Amino acid sequence: MHERRWIRRRPARLAVVLAVAGLIAVAVVISVASASVSGTAGKPTIVLANNSWEGSVANNVVAQYVIEKNLGYNVNLLTIDEIPAWPAMVQGKISAVMEVWGHSPLYAQYVKGNHKVADAGLEGPNGNIGWYVPTYLVKAHPELATWKGVKKDWKLFVTPQSSPQGQFLDGSPSYVTNDAALVTNLGLDLKVVFAGTEAAQLTEIEQDYKAKKPVLFYWYTPQYQNAIYKFSQVALPPFTTACAKLKPAQINCAYPPYHLYKVMAATLATQAPTVASFIRRFNWTSDDQNSVSYNLAVKHMSNSAAAAAFVNSHQALVKSWLSSSTKPTKVEPPTPGT
Amino acid sequence: MSAPPATPVWAAALRLDGRLGGVARRWAPPLALAIPLCLVAAALEGVHSGFPSTWLLGVPRWFDNLNNWVTNNDSSNFFLHTIVGGFGNLLNDATNDIVNLLHWMTWVGVLAVSTAIAWLVGSWRTALFSALVVASFGVLQIPNGGPNGISEMWPSAMTTLALMTVAIILSTIVGIPLGIASAVWPTVHKLLRPLLDLMQILPAFAYLVPIVVLFSIGNPAGIVATFIYAVPPLVRFTELGIRSVRKDVIEAAESFGSTRRQVLRNVQLPLAAQAIMLGLNQVIMMALSIVVIASLIGAGGLGDPVLAALQTQQIGEGFVAGLLIVLMAMWLDRTSAAIGERARERTSTRRLTRRQLLGLWAGLLVLVLVARYGLGLGDWPAGWGFSVVDNATRALNWVTNEFTGIAGPISSFLTLDILNPLQRYLTDLPWWLVAAVVGTIGWARGGSRRGVLLAGCVVLLGLMQAPVGYTFQGTTSYNFVAWNDAMETFSLVIVALALDLIVGIPLGIAAYRWRVMDRVLRPILDTLQTLPAFVYLIPMVALFGVGNVAGVSASLIYALPAAVRATTLGLRAVQRDVLEAGQAFGSTRWQLLFKVELPIARPYLMLAVNQTILLVMAEVVVAGLVGAGGLGLDVVTGFSRSEVGLGAAAGLAMVLMGIVLDRLSQSNPDRARAAAS
Repeated sequence: MHERRWIRRRPARLAVVLAVAGLIAVAVVISVASASVSGTAGKPTIVLANNSWEGSVANNVVAQYVIEKNLGYNVNLLTIDEIPAWPAMVQGKISAVMEVWGHSPLYAQYVKGNHKVADAGLEGPNGNIGWYVPTYLVKAHPELATWKGVKKDWKLFVTPQSSPQGQFLDGSPSYVTNDAALVTNLGLDLKVVFAGTEAAQLTEIEQDYKAKKPVLFYWYTPQYQNAIYKFSQVALPPFTTACAKLKPAQINCAYPPYHLYKVMAATLATQAPTVASFIRRFNWTSDDQNSVSYNLAVKHMSNSAAAAAFVNSHQALVKSWLSSSTKPTKVEPPTPGT
Repeated sequence: MSAPPATPVWAAALRLDGRLGGVARRWAPPLALAIPLCLVAAALEGVHSGFPSTWLLGVPRWFDNLNNWVTNNDSSNFFLHTIVGGFGNLLNDATNDIVNLLHWMTWVGVLAVSTAIAWLVGSWRTALFSALVVASFGVLQIPNGGPNGISEMWPSAMTTLALMTVAIILSTIVGIPLGIASAVWPTVHKLLRPLLDLMQILPAFAYLVPIVVLFSIGNPAGIVATFIYAVPPLVRFTELGIRSVRKDVIEAAESFGSTRRQVLRNVQLPLAAQAIMLGLNQVIMMALSIVVIASLIGAGGLGDPVLAALQTQQIGEGFVAGLLIVLMAMWLDRTSAAIGERARERTSTRRLTRRQLLGLWAGLLVLVLVARYGLGLGDWPAGWGFSVVDNATRALNWVTNEFTGIAGPISSFLTLDILNPLQRYLTDLPWWLVAAVVGTIGWARGGSRRGVLLAGCVVLLGLMQAPVGYTFQGTTSYNFVAWNDAMETFSLVIVALALDLIVGIPLGIAAYRWRVMDRVLRPILDTLQTLPAFVYLIPMVALFGVGNVAGVSASLIYALPAAVRATTLGLRAVQRDVLEAGQAFGSTRWQLLFKVELPIARPYLMLAVNQTILLVMAEVVVAGLVGAGGLGLDVVTGFSRSEVGLGAAAGLAMVLMGIVLDRLSQSNPDRARAAAS
């Protein structure tokens, strides 16, 4: 009896093991085979860096749509912070960044230095970073149009977090800012509070905006939120090249103008020449970008729907990005100090 | 405890005995050393607040140099390129293979196989739950597409499942042998213990930067981070399981002539199976709690939409993805717990005979093949789902709108009257006083070695700082004053701990006292433990405003379950005969609770404090993402700006702080046991 069971059990166990192994083997073989057959055989996947601000996403969404529809490559969007994106391009994890703000040291290191990243020309919009307050606040306190008014009215901005000083609300710590240096060098009674992320900063501003409370913050254009809220810039001492050459801790003037530009992995031109050519020619305006951002963030359109809406209404522009007779956008190293 | 320790001569001379004598015996020696040292320090240094800014080791520069070296030698160095790079590729390939397999199986296959496995190891309830969870990956959708433009959550869920599988396999391959080695060789145990402590205290954020340096961003980095965070319990449980096999059983095996290896393989390991399964269960839960953090370094999956919630205010989307992470955790938890249950019962009562089992697998294979090639199915159909995003967003907005009126004053009170003064007070203390206090408490609670070690940790923490305006190769510059930032973080930890205990201990008592309460609390606590903090950070900002209060809320919520559970557990451990004796003397239920049960459960309450502190520490970095300062902001800044030196030095400072707080709150295990018996 015992013997019989033993004899019967053994092949059964073997069969179970074989069946499971077979299932896995068949699955792996077929999945590998089907993965390599599907659609874009042999073409590398293009990876675009999604930075944490909406404008960066708008660029990528449109670029993804055009590259997939017109050039036949698969495109992934990868969420990553600004600075880590550069080494990631060297390591081949990211193909291109469609919107770069300044970062002259990184430019010097990767584009001019080791040539592992290629300058892909200007994006079109000019970036403007500065200090802002809600417009209702300037109406009530006209002196807040300049930093001298902030110096006088600092008490307006006191919050529990910054108490006993006034609060200057900064966004994500990944944005390189001069605000702490400005506060010290302009002799302002303010404490710089990092909101930690842009969403946290915006949530705080929204809550204050709803309650019509005073708030002073780091902000920038192009930014789709500017179409929803009325913000006014606080004038800082004007930007000079002499000021840009100061050490970070000694800066005492406004932020420089930013000519937003694109960069891509140096290898992209050989791996996917049509994509590289498209990225070099990609160029649009702040309004274009804001319209896409607005559709994404406020109207909650899907990425492809927002991109399709833009592409369908700007056919000539998109055609110029894809035509090799279009002149590539101008290559211009970022302003020192940005 | 067998015999009371011999009274030292000086104590006898002072006629110190009894309870007061015990206290004096413990506190007098450290105080006798600490007070003169403080006076010397005050005389030499003067009574200044904080830590001298010129005392530093240059730790940030070490890490910046290391990072520089790694970046420059990435492709030429054998170790970096072949070993580290090859290992990374292996992990990446394994993940991609599993992802491809899951997609190839089609949704029908994934659903059928997971349900069959759950049914085989558990009951029909486990199977039903498993099926519902897997279906929810398809049914719950994000209508407008997440940040990566994907509406369906199915692919993200499959990616997370694959990442988890690889991380769990890696943990098993490394963790179980390490646990065995640690049980067999005392040297390994001694070497491993501090390393495991470190891995558990180290906030995951702190090692994200070095991992990215080594592995670059992507799946391998995410898996390695998950592994580091999740493997310690498996090593500990394996070791514990093997060690707790009864001596007489081993001796019996040896007397039959078994070799040491045979004893281990045939006796100890099978008997330890349940403990190992328990450890594996912990690994799964911890791995899922770190999904979002792994997404920060480019591991995709369900973490991405959750992160997006934090980056672009898509609260509803993040909430849905967070919910799916919770469901996945519960699903894997129940399935692995069912396997553990089987291991404990050691029953051979299988649901199916071998032949039936074979039939089942064959049937599943046919089902998958038919679904794939016969019906041409793929991922979960996009149309078969609905969105709860709008409802989630609406609910969260309703909460924030309704409660802003109450939350505002609470936030100002906590910030102005508690956090700010506490932080100012702590920052004002001279460093030597803090070191002396920590050293004295450490000595009194755990002996002279511990006291000196902890005081050393305090000083080392101060030395982590960077020179004023430190810059590496001129990219950016920053000031990192480790001491002041640690004090700010410490004030957050104190407040989170206090609030957790104020809320947690009564809840724990209630759960012990009333069965209903226990039943109601259990799923809530499970959810709180696995719901990623990132999901509720933005609503917290809407409620409390940017700053320390919003930041502390994450730690508070994450650590609350531990406080509740340890309290309930402690009370349950009070022995029945003690209670019956109390009842015999005519005590009422509440008298019993306060006079008998709570005092006896004290060591467990200390354990609750310890566990809560560790969990608060693990999550306090997250506070940096919503405007709290301190070491959390330093680590976040270091990570997001690729300031490797800052991130690593702040991370180390956090580890030192974690070690100090852990050891200070760890009650002497022997005394705890003595009091409990």
